[in-house]
Amino acid sequence: MTTRQDGKTELSAQLAANLERLKRDFSWPQNQSLVIRNLVVAALKRDAAVLYLEGAADIEEIERRIIEPLVARGPSEFKNADPLDVVRLEIVTHRTGKAAETFDEINGDLLNGWTVLLIEGADRALLFETRGFESRQVPEPIVEHVIRGPKEAFTESAAFNRSLVRKYLRDRHLVAETLTIGDRAASEVTLMYVKDLADPNIVDEVKRRIREVRTDAVTSLPLLEQYIDENPYSLVPNALHTERPDRACAFLLEGHVILLMDNSPAAMVLPITLWSLVHSAEDHYMRWAYSNFMRIIRLLALFVAVLTPSVYIAVSTFHEEMIPSDLLLAIAATREKVPFPALLEVLLMEFAFELVREAAIRVPTVIGPTIGIVGALILGQAAVEANIISPILVVIVAITGISSFTIPEPSLNVTVRITRFILLFAGAFMGFYGIALALACILAYLTTYTSYGVPFLSPLTPHYRSSADMILRLPVHKERIRPHNLNPRDAVRRPERKSKP
Amino acid sequence: MTVRNTRNRKRNRILRRMLECAALLSLCLLSGCWDKLELEEQAFVVVIGLDKGPRNTVEVTFQIANPQIGSSDIGTAEGEPPSDTIRFTSSDILSAKELANTVITRTINFAHLKTMIVSEELARDEIFPHIAGAAIRDPELRREVAMIVSREKAFDFIMKNRPRLETRPHKYYELMQQRWMETGYVPFSTLNQYLQQQVTDSMFLAIYATARQHNHRVSRHEDAYLAGQVPKRAGDPVQMIGAAVFHNGRMVGTLTGEQMRWVQMLRHKASVDAFITSFSDPLEEDAMVTVRLFKNGNTKIKFDLRKEVPRIHVTLPLRIQLLSFTSLEPYATDPEMQRMLIKHLKEQIESELLEVIRLSQKKFPGDPFEWELFARKHFMTMPAYQAYGWSKHFKKAKVDVKVELRLENFGKQRTPYMQTKRKEG
Repeated sequence: MTTRQDGKTELSAQLAANLERLKRDFSWPQNQSLVIRNLVVAALKRDAAVLYLEGAADIEEIERRIIEPLVARGPSEFKNADPLDVVRLEIVTHRTGKAAETFDEINGDLLNGWTVLLIEGADRALLFETRGFESRQVPEPIVEHVIRGPKEAFTESAAFNRSLVRKYLRDRHLVAETLTIGDRAASEVTLMYVKDLADPNIVDEVKRRIREVRTDAVTSLPLLEQYIDENPYSLVPNALHTERPDRACAFLLEGHVILLMDNSPAAMVLPITLWSLVHSAEDHYMRWAYSNFMRIIRLLALFVAVLTPSVYIAVSTFHEEMIPSDLLLAIAATREKVPFPALLEVLLMEFAFELVREAAIRVPTVIGPTIGIVGALILGQAAVEANIISPILVVIVAITGISSFTIPEPSLNVTVRITRFILLFAGAFMGFYGIALALACILAYLTTYTSYGVPFLSPLTPHYRSSADMILRLPVHKERIRPHNLNPRDAVRRPERKSKP
Repeated sequence: MTVRNTRNRKRNRILRRMLECAALLSLCLLSGCWDKLELEEQAFVVVIGLDKGPRNTVEVTFQIANPQIGSSDIGTAEGEPPSDTIRFTSSDILSAKELANTVITRTINFAHLKTMIVSEELARDEIFPHIAGAAIRDPELRREVAMIVSREKAFDFIMKNRPRLETRPHKYYELMQQRWMETGYVPFSTLNQYLQQQVTDSMFLAIYATARQHNHRVSRHEDAYLAGQVPKRAGDPVQMIGAAVFHNGRMVGTLTGEQMRWVQMLRHKASVDAFITSFSDPLEEDAMVTVRLFKNGNTKIKFDLRKEVPRIHVTLPLRIQLLSFTSLEPYATDPEMQRMLIKHLKEQIESELLEVIRLSQKKFPGDPFEWELFARKHFMTMPAYQAYGWSKHFKKAKVDVKVELRLENFGKQRTPYMQTKRKEG
């Protein structure tokens, strides 16, 4: 056993020594995960050992494709002289097979579910890919649920996810690059992009940031998102997670880059714009008019979710002349017995609503439904009857809450909820003037914000050529131009049709 | 060296952060908030009444809506009245507003003021333009406030006005304002128009109303009444019909409901499109013909101002629907009779219009038809127009009126049954 110059230890020719080293590396026998199966290769008349990690490898595949041929094949004439080549090329029927010289390589591959074959007298090991991590079946999307459109979602297996992406996008230019991050538990990140579409600068930038991550372990995509985020303190998200392979492919075709990782049932899309956050997966599956109708509703909902409480406060404490007299008197009548100022009322209700929402996520699913009932009953009706809040506030908080549920992207959802409080205080301080000031600041910030070099509000502002798939969308046959803010290498989706059909 | 540089830079950055925070904080502390007032801490004045007080003062009446009556089921307070009416004597409206807080617990707010009621006595007084003008210096007081002139004291008017169908006073005025637009018995008058027309030669027309029955008389023309003359029994004592005519901010006369309607028609653009009125029957002295009149386009006014006695040609396009005729003559079937009817109606309308014009030339110092706006176009410059003196010349002007009348139909029925039969036969 010799240590090479690069610090890696080479295998020796003795099987026992190699085994001893591997047992030590994996703390065998305390660690029962390492399975060692001793056997005799009948054809070569040599001792051998098959090693794999329980849980990581597919046992049935090992038995059928590796152990069985090794034991069953009797002595005969072989074309190769080297025993390793004999085993790899002429005995074992497994679809993969490679030789490894160092323990470091063996250890890494064992952890990834590979099987190791050590043979007496050989100073190299044979490795077979027998990944067999437990994984779910292809699930239905839970977050990005659609009525029309595919019902497949990513799972926790990156290989599986890659195959899903490839299934939806059968393009030979679809590149899947693998990068490794983390020092202790190295994990693989797959970077996928369409080579003749994606801007090489963006691809390089993403790769650079992934390589610059310096940490022990990055176990999943949401963590990776935070490690490579350029504005970690910003309220605005910098990446988008989708659990739908079809949506991931739509982004790939626009020139975005997606990242896949084991243990993350989602694809991370980079870079993003505001539009990608407010669009839903279904927008392009519905006909032009229907999807635009839904988009208008969602856009209004976004404004309602951001502005309603602050506008209410501003109007009721600064600009009461704006309320129709009937409503004004109704509000004033119900407010008369409420002991708190309107701002405190709104804060109370918003706080209660956020509580219900947080509780609904954290609570075990078994008692989940009760939260809704208790929340609605106690917070709404009872609070009004107890004169803690006025009834109009139940309407306002409810409409705000419902509206915020229409925002499809969870990150943007939280952004909206926090922004609402900022505007609420602005409105309570200075009325509409304050709201207008705060909105101007927010807009100014959004125009300067970038995601991996792409302006957040582009292609609207700064303006780039695109198919105007922003607030509304065009009919699909007119969506010919790829958004130029991503600097795609191929600007047009397909050559212009000469004549109309 | 580099270490110190980094440390300096770091300190600078922290300093900048602190400055930014201080700026933000001061923004919050130094701005806004003072105007902030919760809804329930305010008393919303719905109606203001203005009366002449002793020694150049005004008596200001506030009618304050009580939100707890008739607005919401939850906040109802049993036994409270729907509104509170209080009168203060003060030098103007704004000082009365302050004075009111000696009695009323909440901040007086004019933001939802709908109506300003002025007693005829004050409206005819020379101090009135100053009082009304000073009022709008409060930004809360909107210029869209409707202006009503009451024949009696505004305080009495407000106290007596107890609408049966509306509990809350603001609703009453809101709904009444919409009806005014439809019937044309009263002008559409706001404080803004009052202020605007103080400086022009046309006259401002305000709603004329009363809560007292004056002389109860029955006219064959259902609209020839002034406020207080409408024959009615029971119901709310308030009547609004006719107009108070203002010149240079002071009231100078009145118009009946009927005259008011013709004035509206004679204006270039009418704020009322259609109304129902009746005329005498051409064939029977005592019978009446009731028609619905529509204005069929804008009134065309042509001037000839070259001579000392100006000539004004007015063309009024009208459409009518015949609603009923008590004579039971066969107008619907006989085209000859229809022609006669149209001729008769046309003459009647023309004479009524001329009468209104003559009346305003004789009794008022200006024209209430807003013709001035068109007369202006005949002058190159404003000083030239002012030198001409429109009001003076209007009083001498020879006006002829031409009505273009089209009988549209006989109410709902498109073609009379007899005509259809004749065509078929």
